[in-house]
Amino acid sequence: MSLQYLKTAVAENDSEKLIRYVRLHLGDGNEAAGRKEIDKAWIEALKLMLDVPATDREFIFATLNNQTPATLAHLYFYLHFYFVKRSGAWIHDGTL
Amino acid sequence: MTELSDDTRQLRPGLWETINERYPGSMITKSDFIPLARLRKPLSQTRLTFVSSAGIQPKGTMPFDVVHPVGDFSFRRVPSASTISELEIHQIKYPTTGALKDLNVIFPIERLQELTKEGVIGELTPNLFSFIGYQMDPPTFERTLAEDIANAVVAEGAEAALLCPA
Repeated sequence: MSLQYLKTAVAENDSEKLIRYVRLHLGDGNEAAGRKEIDKAWIEALKLMLDVPATDREFIFATLNNQTPATLAHLYFYLHFYFVKRSGAWIHDGTL
Repeated sequence: MTELSDDTRQLRPGLWETINERYPGSMITKSDFIPLARLRKPLSQTRLTFVSSAGIQPKGTMPFDVVHPVGDFSFRRVPSASTISELEIHQIKYPTTGALKDLNVIFPIERLQELTKEGVIGELTPNLFSFIGYQMDPPTFERTLAEDIANAVVAEGAEAALLCPA
């Protein structure tokens, strides 16, 4: 989808178009695959938390407090693909 | 530049429909058609450059931003004397299994080097050029990345450019 298409969707609050775009982007052009990819990333993140491992919350808060929303959004996309790749079911067949 | 074919038929029937279905709104139409320039001298006397959207880059350079939802408007210079082992691919929008075995399948730098050594190509520009093809903002792409690459190609004294979409 073109950027203009997406901006128009935002301006019109057309969530369906935006959701479709996200799924297509994350699913390599396949909306159903994109839905599974989103679930896959969350499942992988969840699995890492089940044993309640020690994590660096200072880093998390510092990142949330000190970085711009745009950087955090960018990080969010990276994290999605990071967890998908970590799951071992990497449909993208490419390199981050 | 290469000779322009008058044949504008699609190589893959239905391709545009598929793209519009998967990425509605992504197709652009340009009313100002600029024909490619004709090659003015034999290829064997020509300085050739190579521009690819394969996402190939020298190892150690900042990876292309393959996760960005809008795209990455940067390009990388790939020294034309590079060996395959000095290069890597960053791309997630198409399968790279073949490229990971041999980057020449998507970025035929060794073939270009061989053709130059054999005299089929006069010479290669010092650098070849690479970017990623996932671009959701065609106007910005045209205004920035395309212009930047065009300027770099001219600066390297290229007399012909081999353009290869990945």
